Amino acid sequence: MDTWKEFEANELTHSAAHHLLAIYEVGEAYGGWARVSDIARRLNITRGSVSINLRTLKKRGWVQTDEHRLVKLSPKGLRVVHSVMAKRVIVKTFLRDVLGIAEAQAEIDSCKIEHLISHSTGQRLVHFLQFLTSGAPVSRQFLRQFRAFQASCPASRTCGVCKGQCLIDELKYAT
Amino acid sequence: MPPDKKRAGASAARDEIVEDLNRLMAEEAEACLRYFQMRFRLRGKEYQAAAPLFEEAIRETLEHATAVAGQIKALGHIPSLRINLSLGGTPIRLETALAEALEVEQQALDAYKDFLPRVAGDPVLEDFIRRQVEVETEHVEEIRTFVQAHAAVKLVPKPKARRRSSR
Repeated sequence: MDTWKEFEANELTHSAAHHLLAIYEVGEAYGGWARVSDIARRLNITRGSVSINLRTLKKRGWVQTDEHRLVKLSPKGLRVVHSVMAKRVIVKTFLRDVLGIAEAQAEIDSCKIEHLISHSTGQRLVHFLQFLTSGAPVSRQFLRQFRAFQASCPASRTCGVCKGQCLIDELKYAT
Repeated sequence: MPPDKKRAGASAARDEIVEDLNRLMAEEAEACLRYFQMRFRLRGKEYQAAAPLFEEAIRETLEHATAVAGQIKALGHIPSLRINLSLGGTPIRLETALAEALEVEQQALDAYKDFLPRVAGDPVLEDFIRRQVEVETEHVEEIRTFVQAHAAVKLVPKPKARRRSSR
């Protein structure tokens, strides 16, 4: 399957991930149970939208509701939330601590990526972070040199990374 | 409490009321758009059966949104509408459409009910919200009745075509 199609077919959509996280966060203070109105406020959308979206989450077995229309994560839904939260932390740590991205931007970008990366990529990122923070001389030196590294583009606008097309220039025009 | 602080407190409370009214208006406006699109996802006989119900729902929700906006204007504010809606164009079964409509109406009713205690003592707003609760309750009942009627029609088995006896 092409990667973009895989992105489309991802059963955990960005919206679903945020609904599950909202239920988790709102429900934390109430034994896991959350009201639709509170979820709507947290996500800044209407109660009607939350209610409709919950139907899909229920079909997937990620949430359960009671007779008062309160919502709770199922054990399966809770596992999904933990996985998303773990990936968010991993990506954010990588962006902030390794790439040196500012905290706020790292938070925004990790939120966009958290539910999309695979389990194995998440695992490899953790291993990479473990290596970098292990305190071993080689990893300390690597980090030091990376932080001191001043990227500069050659006049020809081609380098070993860009291979004929300056990626930095391309990024400038990205929205 | 000093008069300045009292005024600031009342103003903050008024802002919160306006914010809640904006949310109620968004519920109605979004429901209107949902119904507008939803009826086109129905096909054949199901479309014909439910079209009048959805047309009525479109009219009513728009009317409600307008009424809520009127209340916001009366409080000296300009309504601010925040909705985030993207509706797919896949066909839908009538049962699913009605179930979604029921969800939306029930949430609107709950929203008005939750808001009612917040406007207790304000004769205009309290009366307005009470009427909305009544109307929404009726609307939820109408959809329920339609759902039951539709289910009843489905429960009556179609008469089987008689086999012609071969001579």
